[in-house]
Amino acid sequence: MKRYIEKLRRASWSYKQPLTHPPRVLGAPVSDLFLWRNSDAWKTFFELTDLSALFAGPDNPGRTVTLIFFDAAGRSFKEKIVEIQPVCRQTLSLSEIIGSAHGSVGTFSIFHAHTPKVLRALGSNLAERGYVSYRFRGARLRAYVHGNLDAIARLPDKSLQLLGGQSIMRREYNLQHALAPLSNYELFIVNPTPKRQRIVCQTLSINDKKIDAQVADLLPRGTHLFNVVPAQANQRVVISSHLIMARPLVFQIQDQRMDVFHG
Amino acid sequence: MSFYPILSAPGCAGQTTLYNFPPNNWENRRMKTKLVNLTWAQHGLWRSVILDELVYGEIRAYTHSDISAHVPENILPLLSLSSMPFPELSETLPASVQSTNTPNWRATLSLVSPFTSTSYQGELDPFPAPGSLLTFAPFIQFGSEIENYMLLLNLEKNPQTRISTVEIYNSAKTDLVLGSFEVISNSISSVRLDGLGLGPEDLPVVICKGMSGIPLFFSKTTNGAHLSLEHTHPPASYVIHGNRWEAQRILKNHWFTKLGQP
Repeated sequence: MKRYIEKLRRASWSYKQPLTHPPRVLGAPVSDLFLWRNSDAWKTFFELTDLSALFAGPDNPGRTVTLIFFDAAGRSFKEKIVEIQPVCRQTLSLSEIIGSAHGSVGTFSIFHAHTPKVLRALGSNLAERGYVSYRFRGARLRAYVHGNLDAIARLPDKSLQLLGGQSIMRREYNLQHALAPLSNYELFIVNPTPKRQRIVCQTLSINDKKIDAQVADLLPRGTHLFNVVPAQANQRVVISSHLIMARPLVFQIQDQRMDVFHG
Repeated sequence: MSFYPILSAPGCAGQTTLYNFPPNNWENRRMKTKLVNLTWAQHGLWRSVILDELVYGEIRAYTHSDISAHVPENILPLLSLSSMPFPELSETLPASVQSTNTPNWRATLSLVSPFTSTSYQGELDPFPAPGSLLTFAPFIQFGSEIENYMLLLNLEKNPQTRISTVEIYNSAKTDLVLGSFEVISNSISSVRLDGLGLGPEDLPVVICKGMSGIPLFFSKTTNGAHLSLEHTHPPASYVIHGNRWEAQRILKNHWFTKLGQP
């Protein structure tokens, strides 16, 4: 009986609430909604690889990807087609592509034009969840972070379909990270759903007492920066929203150094 | 619950921070004190001791100095949280039940230099043996006084030590292996990536036909002032929906057949 009740309870959190919905069109390319940062202090890079050539070999040169950039409010402001070289590494300097007229943060997606036949036959979509790197204050080393979510698809008519699922009940994402004093944290949440999302970012003390709460409304494809400066060791962050998994991208900044990771 | 290794890497010390609270409010609601187990493989057996206890909500960081009284040097220390103690000696890895999925219950796995630190939120579950590995790794950074490493993290149920070979190729010149390196089961094996002849436009492909693992890519300035750490995706992550594992099998077959052939 106990087990049955627990199953029912879990079902209320999971029934018809997938993390990602499938694209409406089989074979449509899928991408994460990656975060770009562009300012005097921050530069963003992406490691581009011809994913389809990894499956099929470099038999069809001249393939392309389409980069689509969104501002923090989720508005598309730039589209760029890049020719990809098979089986090589192309490090794209996104800050140079974006320019300075669209704010200092936003999201972007990368759609591969070619999906190998073998993947279509498996009922699968090619997904770009690749690697972004950030350079902070001209440091010699960039810090890498991988893509995290299959967030958005580009359909054959070039329209975009957001794939993120939505929870019926508000749910909490407890960031399993002890905030370090003397560090400044910048937490970014992106909205991969087709609806506006209200996000609450709470900072809790070691005794789980609320220290601070920040609220943001995220438009689809948009992002928001929550700035958290812990005063004491072992403070933590809880993010509540209707997102299935409000996993933040976390920048930990201390003096001239930074680290980036998925929370 | 998964295992949480204390990492090690050239020029850096490992630190692993455990959390006795779940990553969400709906999958696991038990608010109980948990034991911190320390587990390691030695002389063909898994050995475990209770290292600590965390009350619900508690956070604590562990370094090699916290476990050096138990675990010999160069052996991978594995932390875990459980309600019951693990057997002191075991021929198979003690069961570690995954208690959340969205996301997995994680720890902060850090590498710390005298100046800074880098981390990722991670966990480690046993890989099937023998297993295999294929990954593409565009992480090498270039410039003077920059060092690049792959840290292959492996865990298997069997405590017996196995040795396998990692091979690194330029994915555009598949006939020539650029480096072969021995890797060991139930450990973290460090491979230096500099000096293999890979340039900024080369896409390194890393294979291991006899062992699986999590390939971590670690870069540092020689003085340790700046660090970067991230893992690559398994090949199944290149696709979504449909038969992803078949896609991974196809990709592995394609590259395992192709690499090293004239």
